[in-house]
Amino acid sequence: MRCDEVRPRLEAYVDGELAEAERVQMRDHLADCPKCGPETAALERLREGIRQSAPIYRAPEALRSRVRFALRREAAEGARAARRAPGWLAYAASILLAVAVGSGGTLLITGERQEDAVANELIDSHLRSLLGSHLTDVASSDQHTVKPWFAGRSEMSPPAVDLAPEGFPLVGGRLDLIAGKPVPALVYRRREHVINVFVLPASRGDLGVNLTRRGYTLRHWDEGDLGFWAVSDAAPTELAEFERVFRATTSG
Amino acid sequence: MAWIAERRRRSRFESVVLPHLDAAYALARWLTRNDADAADVVQEAMLRAFRYFDTYREGDAKSWILRIVRRTCYSWLERNRPAEVVPLDEEEVIDEEVSIAPVAALNTEALLQNRSDLRRLDVLIEALPPPLREAIVLRELQELGYREIAEVTGVPIGTVMSRLHRARSALRRAWEGKDIGDAV
Repeated sequence: MRCDEVRPRLEAYVDGELAEAERVQMRDHLADCPKCGPETAALERLREGIRQSAPIYRAPEALRSRVRFALRREAAEGARAARRAPGWLAYAASILLAVAVGSGGTLLITGERQEDAVANELIDSHLRSLLGSHLTDVASSDQHTVKPWFAGRSEMSPPAVDLAPEGFPLVGGRLDLIAGKPVPALVYRRREHVINVFVLPASRGDLGVNLTRRGYTLRHWDEGDLGFWAVSDAAPTELAEFERVFRATTSG
Repeated sequence: MAWIAERRRRSRFESVVLPHLDAAYALARWLTRNDADAADVVQEAMLRAFRYFDTYREGDAKSWILRIVRRTCYSWLERNRPAEVVPLDEEEVIDEEVSIAPVAALNTEALLQNRSDLRRLDVLIEALPPPLREAIVLRELQELGYREIAEVTGVPIGTVMSRLHRARSALRRAWEGKDIGDAV
Protein backbone atom coordinates (compact mmCIF):
# COMPACT_ATOMS: atom_id res chain seq x y z
CA MET A 1 0.00 0.00 0.00
CA ARG A 2 1.18 3.48 -0.77
CA CYS A 3 0.88 6.48 1.51
CA ASP A 4 -1.74 8.13 -0.68
CA GLU A 5 -3.88 5.02 -0.37
CA VAL A 6 -3.34 4.82 3.36
CA ARG A 7 -4.03 8.41 4.37
CA PRO A 8 -7.75 8.57 3.51
CA ARG A 9 -8.30 5.36 5.43
CA LEU A 10 -6.28 6.27 8.49
CA GLU A 11 -9.18 7.36 10.66
CA ALA A 12 -11.30 4.42 9.60
CA TYR A 13 -8.37 2.24 10.60
CA VAL A 14 -8.05 3.86 14.01
CA ASP A 15 -11.83 3.62 14.40
CA GLY A 16 -11.76 -0.09 13.69
CA GLU A 17 -14.02 0.27 10.68
CA LEU A 18 -11.93 -1.53 8.08
CA ALA A 19 -12.38 -5.05 6.83
CA GLU A 20 -9.82 -7.49 8.12
CA ALA A 21 -7.76 -7.83 4.92
CA GLU A 22 -7.49 -4.08 4.54
CA ARG A 23 -6.68 -3.66 8.20
CA VAL A 24 -3.73 -6.04 7.94
CA GLN A 25 -2.38 -4.23 4.87
CA MET A 26 -2.70 -0.92 6.69
CA ARG A 27 -0.98 -2.25 9.76
CA ASP A 28 1.99 -3.47 7.74
CA HIS A 29 2.37 -0.11 6.07
CA LEU A 30 2.07 1.82 9.32
CA ALA A 31 4.73 -0.27 10.99
CA ASP A 32 7.32 0.89 8.44
CA CYS A 33 6.19 4.28 7.18
CA PRO A 34 7.93 7.22 8.92
CA LYS A 35 5.07 9.55 8.03
CA CYS A 36 1.91 7.51 8.38
CA GLY A 37 3.07 5.76 11.55
CA PRO A 38 3.40 8.94 13.65
CA GLU A 39 0.19 10.29 12.14
CA THR A 40 -1.62 7.24 13.44
CA ALA A 41 0.00 7.67 16.82
CA ALA A 42 -1.20 11.28 16.89
CA LEU A 43 -4.78 10.18 16.22
CA GLU A 44 -4.54 7.64 18.99
CA ARG A 45 -3.12 10.27 21.34
CA LEU A 46 -6.05 12.51 20.56
CA ARG A 47 -8.48 9.72 21.37
CA GLU A 48 -6.69 9.00 24.62
CA GLY A 49 -6.67 12.70 25.45
CA ILE A 50 -10.39 13.01 24.81
CA ARG A 51 -11.25 10.02 26.95
CA GLN A 52 -9.12 11.28 29.77
CA SER A 53 -10.24 14.87 29.82
CA ALA A 54 -13.91 14.53 28.98
CA PRO A 55 -16.19 14.25 31.98
CA ILE A 56 -18.34 11.15 32.14
CA TYR A 57 -21.90 12.35 32.37
CA ARG A 58 -24.41 10.11 34.09
CA ALA A 59 -28.12 10.71 34.48
CA PRO A 60 -28.75 12.09 37.97
CA GLU A 61 -30.94 9.95 40.23
CA ALA A 62 -33.52 12.73 40.35
CA LEU A 63 -33.86 12.60 36.58
CA ARG A 64 -34.32 8.84 36.68
CA SER A 65 -37.21 9.25 39.13
CA ARG A 66 -38.67 12.11 37.13
CA VAL A 67 -38.63 10.06 33.96
CA ARG A 68 -40.23 7.07 35.61
CA PHE A 69 -42.91 9.27 37.08
CA ALA A 70 -43.58 10.97 33.76
CA LEU A 71 -43.83 7.60 32.04
CA ARG A 72 -46.27 6.39 34.60
CA ARG A 73 -48.47 9.40 34.13
CA GLU A 74 -48.21 9.06 30.39
CA ALA A 75 -49.14 5.39 30.55
CA ALA A 76 -52.10 6.22 32.76
CA GLU A 77 -53.26 8.84 30.29
CA GLY A 78 -52.81 6.38 27.48
CA ALA A 79 -55.04 3.93 29.28
CA ARG A 80 -57.66 6.63 29.82
CA ALA A 81 -57.48 7.60 26.19
CA ALA A 82 -58.47 4.05 25.40
CA ARG A 83 -61.70 4.97 27.17
CA ARG A 84 -61.54 2.06 29.45
CA ALA A 85 -60.14 3.75 32.48
CA PRO A 86 -59.97 1.29 35.30
CA GLY A 87 -61.29 3.60 37.96
CA TRP A 88 -60.60 3.06 41.56
CA LEU A 89 -62.11 -0.35 41.67
CA ALA A 90 -59.45 -1.92 39.51
CA TYR A 91 -56.69 -0.15 41.31
CA ALA A 92 -58.01 -1.13 44.69
CA ALA A 93 -58.46 -4.64 43.38
CA SER A 94 -54.86 -4.76 42.29
CA ILE A 95 -53.78 -3.70 45.72
CA LEU A 96 -56.10 -6.18 47.29
CA LEU A 97 -54.61 -8.81 45.06
CA ALA A 98 -51.16 -7.63 46.02
CA VAL A 99 -52.04 -8.00 49.64
CA ALA A 100 -53.85 -11.26 49.20
CA VAL A 101 -51.00 -12.88 47.36
CA GLY A 102 -49.22 -13.14 50.66
CA SER A 103 -51.11 -14.84 53.43
CA GLY A 104 -53.33 -13.24 56.05
CA GLY A 105 -52.27 -11.21 59.01
CA THR A 106 -49.09 -9.20 58.87
CA LEU A 107 -47.34 -10.00 55.67
CA LEU A 108 -43.80 -9.89 54.62
CA ILE A 109 -44.04 -9.79 50.87
CA THR A 110 -41.01 -10.73 48.86
CA GLY A 111 -40.11 -10.55 45.27
CA GLU A 112 -43.54 -10.83 43.66
CA ARG A 113 -44.06 -8.55 40.74
CA GLN A 114 -47.54 -7.29 41.41
CA GLU A 115 -46.83 -6.22 44.97
CA ASP A 116 -43.58 -4.71 43.92
CA ALA A 117 -45.36 -2.60 41.36
CA VAL A 118 -47.66 -1.14 44.00
CA ALA A 119 -44.91 -0.77 46.57
CA ASN A 120 -42.67 0.81 43.98
CA GLU A 121 -45.30 3.31 42.94
CA LEU A 122 -45.73 4.44 46.51
CA ILE A 123 -42.02 4.47 47.27
CA ASP A 124 -41.35 6.43 44.09
CA SER A 125 -43.96 8.94 45.16
CA HIS A 126 -42.33 9.13 48.55
CA LEU A 127 -38.92 9.69 46.96
CA ARG A 128 -40.24 12.37 44.66
CA SER A 129 -41.68 14.19 47.61
CA LEU A 130 -38.22 14.37 49.15
CA LEU A 131 -36.60 15.66 46.00
CA GLY A 132 -36.76 19.31 45.26
CA SER A 133 -39.26 21.55 46.88
CA HIS A 134 -42.49 19.69 46.59
CA LEU A 135 -42.96 18.00 49.93
CA THR A 136 -46.27 19.68 50.60
CA ASP A 137 -48.96 21.49 48.64
CA VAL A 138 -50.44 22.80 51.83
CA ALA A 139 -47.99 23.31 54.67
CA SER A 140 -49.71 23.31 58.00
CA SER A 141 -49.88 21.37 61.22
CA ASP A 142 -53.50 22.40 61.60
CA GLN A 143 -55.98 19.72 60.63
CA HIS A 144 -58.60 22.39 60.00
CA THR A 145 -56.37 23.72 57.26
CA VAL A 146 -55.14 20.46 55.79
CA LYS A 147 -58.34 18.47 55.71
CA PRO A 148 -60.46 21.06 53.86
CA TRP A 149 -57.65 21.59 51.37
CA PHE A 150 -58.21 18.10 50.02
CA ALA A 151 -61.93 18.65 49.58
CA GLY A 152 -62.71 19.04 45.91
CA ARG A 153 -59.24 17.95 44.95
CA SER A 154 -59.70 14.30 45.69
CA GLU A 155 -62.44 11.78 46.15
CA MET A 156 -60.98 11.00 49.53
CA SER A 157 -61.16 13.05 52.66
CA PRO A 158 -58.38 11.90 54.92
CA PRO A 159 -58.30 12.63 58.63
CA ALA A 160 -55.39 15.05 59.07
CA VAL A 161 -54.51 14.83 62.72
CA ASP A 162 -51.44 16.39 64.20
CA LEU A 163 -49.48 13.86 66.20
CA ALA A 164 -46.80 16.21 67.50
CA PRO A 165 -47.40 15.20 71.12
CA GLU A 166 -46.62 11.62 70.14
CA GLY A 167 -43.46 12.68 68.32
CA PHE A 168 -44.94 12.76 64.81
CA PRO A 169 -45.71 16.39 63.93
CA LEU A 170 -47.98 16.94 60.93
CA VAL A 171 -46.16 18.94 58.28
CA GLY A 172 -48.91 19.30 55.71
CA GLY A 173 -50.64 17.64 52.81
CA ARG A 174 -49.94 17.00 49.19
CA LEU A 175 -51.72 15.61 46.16
CA ASP A 176 -49.79 12.96 44.22
CA LEU A 177 -50.62 11.31 40.97
CA ILE A 178 -50.61 7.55 41.30
CA ALA A 179 -51.85 5.32 38.49
CA GLY A 180 -53.23 8.50 36.97
CA LYS A 181 -55.38 9.33 39.96
CA PRO A 182 -54.92 12.15 42.43
CA VAL A 183 -54.04 10.61 45.75
CA PRO A 184 -53.93 12.60 48.99
CA ALA A 185 -50.74 12.26 50.96
CA LEU A 186 -50.39 13.38 54.56
CA VAL A 187 -46.90 14.40 55.50
CA TYR A 188 -45.46 13.79 58.93
CA ARG A 189 -42.03 14.09 60.40
CA ARG A 190 -40.18 11.86 62.78
CA ARG A 191 -37.07 13.80 63.69
CA GLU A 192 -35.15 14.02 60.41
CA HIS A 193 -37.34 11.43 58.68
CA VAL A 194 -40.35 12.17 56.54
CA ILE A 195 -43.37 9.91 56.67
CA ASN A 196 -45.78 10.03 53.76
CA VAL A 197 -49.21 8.58 54.35
CA PHE A 198 -50.99 7.91 51.07
CA VAL A 199 -54.73 7.60 51.30
CA LEU A 200 -56.46 5.22 48.91
CA PRO A 201 -59.77 3.45 48.98
CA ALA A 202 -59.83 0.65 51.51
CA SER A 203 -58.75 -2.65 50.08
CA ARG A 204 -61.20 -4.37 52.48
CA GLY A 205 -60.10 -7.18 54.63
CA ASP A 206 -57.83 -4.91 56.66
CA LEU A 207 -54.78 -7.01 56.09
CA GLY A 208 -51.71 -5.49 57.60
CA VAL A 209 -48.79 -5.02 55.27
CA ASN A 210 -45.33 -4.39 56.46
CA LEU A 211 -42.61 -4.58 53.92
CA THR A 212 -39.25 -3.11 53.19
CA ARG A 213 -38.18 -2.14 49.72
CA ARG A 214 -35.04 -0.33 48.63
CA GLY A 215 -34.42 0.67 52.23
CA TYR A 216 -37.89 2.12 52.74
CA THR A 217 -40.54 0.71 54.98
CA LEU A 218 -44.15 0.55 53.90
CA ARG A 219 -47.11 -0.19 56.16
CA HIS A 220 -50.71 -0.54 55.16
CA TRP A 221 -53.92 -0.60 57.11
CA ASP A 222 -57.58 0.10 56.48
CA GLU A 223 -59.79 2.35 58.52
CA GLY A 224 -63.45 2.43 57.47
CA ASP A 225 -63.52 2.90 53.72
CA LEU A 226 -60.06 4.41 53.59
CA GLY A 227 -56.82 2.54 53.08
CA PHE A 228 -53.66 4.06 54.53
CA TRP A 229 -50.20 3.43 53.14
CA ALA A 230 -47.38 4.86 55.21
CA VAL A 231 -43.93 5.07 53.60
CA SER A 232 -40.76 6.24 55.27
CA ASP A 233 -37.06 5.72 55.70
CA ALA A 234 -37.59 5.79 59.44
CA ALA A 235 -36.87 2.52 61.24
CA PRO A 236 -39.58 -0.14 60.82
CA THR A 237 -40.26 -0.03 64.58
CA GLU A 238 -40.85 3.71 64.38
CA LEU A 239 -43.25 3.32 61.52
CA ALA A 240 -45.08 0.63 63.50
CA GLU A 241 -45.32 3.09 66.38
CA PHE A 242 -46.61 5.72 63.96
CA GLU A 243 -49.33 3.39 62.74
CA ARG A 244 -50.34 2.67 66.33
CA VAL A 245 -50.70 6.31 67.40
CA PHE A 246 -52.30 7.33 64.09
CA ARG A 247 -54.94 4.62 64.38
CA ALA A 248 -55.48 5.30 68.05
CA THR A 249 -56.10 8.98 67.33
CA THR A 250 -58.18 8.69 64.18
CA SER A 251 -60.42 5.86 65.26
CA GLY A 252 -60.83 7.26 68.77
CA MET B 1 -57.71 -4.21 29.86
CA ALA B 2 -56.26 -0.94 28.64
CA TRP B 3 -54.68 -0.24 31.95
CA ILE B 4 -52.88 -3.54 32.07
CA ALA B 5 -51.77 -3.17 28.46
CA GLU B 6 -50.39 0.30 29.16
CA ARG B 7 -48.56 -0.98 32.16
CA ARG B 8 -47.06 -3.82 30.18
CA ARG B 9 -46.00 -1.37 27.51
CA ARG B 10 -44.44 0.86 30.12
CA SER B 11 -42.53 -1.90 31.80
CA ARG B 12 -41.24 -3.11 28.45
CA PHE B 13 -40.18 0.42 27.62
CA GLU B 14 -38.46 0.72 30.96
CA SER B 15 -36.51 -2.47 30.46
CA VAL B 16 -35.58 -1.76 26.83
CA VAL B 17 -34.92 1.97 26.90
CA LEU B 18 -34.09 3.07 30.44
CA PRO B 19 -30.78 1.16 30.51
CA HIS B 20 -29.64 3.81 28.02
CA LEU B 21 -30.63 6.75 30.18
CA ASP B 22 -27.00 7.57 31.01
CA ALA B 23 -26.06 7.59 27.33
CA ALA B 24 -29.10 9.73 26.57
CA TYR B 25 -28.19 12.18 29.29
CA ALA B 26 -24.55 12.33 28.21
CA LEU B 27 -25.49 13.19 24.63
CA ALA B 28 -27.98 15.82 25.77
CA ARG B 29 -25.43 17.21 28.20
CA TRP B 30 -22.82 17.60 25.46
CA LEU B 31 -25.29 19.23 23.12
CA THR B 32 -26.89 21.61 25.62
CA ARG B 33 -23.75 22.07 27.74
CA ASN B 34 -25.84 22.45 30.82
CA ASP B 35 -27.08 20.01 33.49
CA ALA B 36 -30.60 21.31 33.97
CA ASP B 37 -31.27 21.74 30.26
CA ALA B 38 -29.96 18.26 29.55
CA ALA B 39 -32.32 16.81 32.15
CA ASP B 40 -35.30 18.64 30.68
CA VAL B 41 -34.45 17.52 27.18
CA VAL B 42 -33.98 13.90 28.25
CA GLN B 43 -37.30 13.82 30.05
CA GLU B 44 -39.06 15.26 27.01
CA ALA B 45 -37.26 12.81 24.73
CA MET B 46 -38.20 9.84 26.89
CA LEU B 47 -41.85 10.76 26.77
CA ARG B 48 -41.67 11.25 23.05
CA ALA B 49 -39.98 7.88 22.69
CA PHE B 50 -42.63 6.25 24.84
CA ARG B 51 -45.35 7.63 22.61
CA TYR B 52 -43.61 6.27 19.54
CA PHE B 53 -42.56 3.05 21.21
CA ASP B 54 -44.79 1.07 18.91
CA THR B 55 -42.57 2.11 16.03
CA TYR B 56 -39.56 0.59 17.73
CA ARG B 57 -38.73 -2.81 16.34
CA GLU B 58 -36.35 -5.23 17.91
CA GLY B 59 -32.91 -3.93 17.24
CA ASP B 60 -30.50 -1.37 18.47
CA ALA B 61 -32.36 0.37 21.28
CA LYS B 62 -29.43 2.63 22.06
CA SER B 63 -29.27 4.12 18.58
CA TRP B 64 -33.04 4.40 18.54
CA ILE B 65 -33.26 6.39 21.76
CA LEU B 66 -30.18 8.50 21.03
CA ARG B 67 -31.71 9.51 17.74
CA ILE B 68 -34.81 10.75 19.53
CA VAL B 69 -32.75 12.48 22.19
CA ARG B 70 -30.68 14.19 19.54
CA ARG B 71 -33.74 15.42 17.67
CA THR B 72 -35.26 16.68 20.88
CA CYS B 73 -32.00 18.48 21.67
CA TYR B 74 -32.00 20.26 18.35
CA SER B 75 -35.58 21.39 18.57
CA TRP B 76 -34.89 22.53 22.11
CA LEU B 77 -31.83 24.47 20.94
CA GLU B 78 -33.82 26.01 18.09
CA ARG B 79 -36.41 27.20 20.56
CA ASN B 80 -34.04 28.40 23.24
CA ARG B 81 -30.68 29.16 21.67
CA PRO B 82 -31.22 29.57 17.93
CA ALA B 83 -27.79 31.16 17.50
CA GLU B 84 -26.13 27.84 18.26
CA VAL B 85 -27.88 25.91 15.53
CA VAL B 86 -26.20 27.33 12.47
CA PRO B 87 -25.78 24.83 9.68
CA LEU B 88 -22.27 23.82 8.68
CA ASP B 89 -20.95 25.80 5.72
CA GLU B 90 -20.98 22.81 3.47
CA GLU B 91 -21.18 19.14 3.98
CA GLU B 92 -19.02 17.00 1.86
CA VAL B 93 -18.49 13.35 1.68
CA ILE B 94 -15.05 12.41 2.73
CA ASP B 95 -12.35 12.14 0.14
CA GLU B 96 -8.69 12.87 -0.09
CA GLU B 97 -9.17 16.57 -0.64
CA VAL B 98 -10.95 17.27 2.61
CA SER B 99 -8.92 19.91 4.31
CA ILE B 100 -11.27 22.70 5.21
CA ALA B 101 -9.56 25.26 7.40
CA PRO B 102 -10.00 23.22 10.56
CA VAL B 103 -9.71 25.93 13.17
CA ALA B 104 -12.63 27.72 11.59
CA ALA B 105 -14.71 24.87 12.91
CA LEU B 106 -13.98 25.93 16.47
CA ASN B 107 -15.78 28.80 18.04
CA THR B 108 -12.50 30.28 19.18
CA GLU B 109 -13.92 33.70 19.84
CA ALA B 110 -16.22 32.36 22.51
CA LEU B 111 -13.39 30.30 23.90
CA LEU B 112 -11.14 33.29 24.26
CA GLN B 113 -13.89 35.40 25.76
CA ASN B 114 -14.40 32.80 28.41
CA ARG B 115 -10.66 32.68 28.89
CA SER B 116 -10.97 28.95 28.51
CA ASP B 117 -7.99 26.70 28.70
CA LEU B 118 -7.31 25.78 25.11
CA ARG B 119 -5.29 22.80 26.14
CA ARG B 120 -8.33 21.15 27.64
CA LEU B 121 -9.90 18.85 25.15
CA ASP B 122 -13.27 18.86 26.87
CA VAL B 123 -13.39 22.63 26.48
CA LEU B 124 -12.39 22.33 22.85
CA ILE B 125 -15.08 19.73 22.18
CA GLU B 126 -17.71 22.04 23.62
CA ALA B 127 -16.53 24.72 21.21
CA LEU B 128 -17.18 22.55 18.17
CA PRO B 129 -20.39 23.24 16.25
CA PRO B 130 -23.07 20.72 17.25
CA PRO B 131 -22.83 18.43 14.18
CA LEU B 132 -19.10 17.95 14.68
CA ARG B 133 -19.44 17.81 18.45
CA GLU B 134 -22.05 15.07 18.39
CA ALA B 135 -20.02 13.03 15.91
CA ILE B 136 -16.93 13.09 18.09
CA VAL B 137 -18.88 12.46 21.29
CA LEU B 138 -20.76 9.52 19.81
CA ARG B 139 -17.57 8.03 18.42
CA GLU B 140 -15.04 8.61 21.18
CA LEU B 141 -17.17 8.70 24.30
CA GLN B 142 -20.19 6.56 23.44
CA GLU B 143 -18.00 4.34 21.27
CA LEU B 144 -20.51 3.97 18.49
CA GLY B 145 -19.47 2.74 15.05
CA TYR B 146 -19.94 4.76 11.87
CA ARG B 147 -23.16 2.97 10.97
CA GLU B 148 -24.68 3.67 14.36
CA ILE B 149 -23.59 7.31 14.29
CA ALA B 150 -25.15 7.62 10.84
CA GLU B 151 -28.34 6.16 12.22
CA VAL B 152 -28.42 8.46 15.25
CA THR B 153 -27.62 11.61 13.31
CA GLY B 154 -29.60 10.75 10.20
CA VAL B 155 -26.84 11.33 7.66
CA PRO B 156 -24.94 9.01 5.30
CA ILE B 157 -21.82 7.23 6.55
CA GLY B 158 -19.66 9.36 4.27
CA THR B 159 -20.89 12.46 6.04
CA VAL B 160 -20.15 10.89 9.40
CA MET B 161 -16.58 10.26 8.30
CA SER B 162 -16.25 13.77 6.99
CA ARG B 163 -17.53 15.26 10.22
CA LEU B 164 -15.26 13.14 12.34
CA HIS B 165 -12.35 14.21 10.21
CA ARG B 166 -13.20 17.88 10.54
CA ALA B 167 -13.75 17.57 14.25
CA ARG B 168 -10.45 15.78 14.79
CA SER B 169 -8.51 18.18 12.61
CA ALA B 170 -9.90 21.13 14.52
CA LEU B 171 -9.21 19.55 17.89
CA ARG B 172 -5.68 18.56 16.94
CA ARG B 173 -4.83 21.97 15.58
CA ALA B 174 -5.87 23.65 18.77
CA TRP B 175 -4.65 21.01 21.18
CA GLU B 176 -1.34 19.92 19.69
CA GLY B 177 -0.48 23.40 18.51
CA LYS B 178 -0.83 24.65 22.03
CA ASP B 179 1.06 21.75 23.51
CA ILE B 180 3.95 22.04 21.14
CA GLY B 181 4.11 25.80 21.63
CA ASP B 182 4.32 25.33 25.38
CA ALA B 183 6.91 22.61 25.24
CA VAL B 184 9.33 24.52 23.07
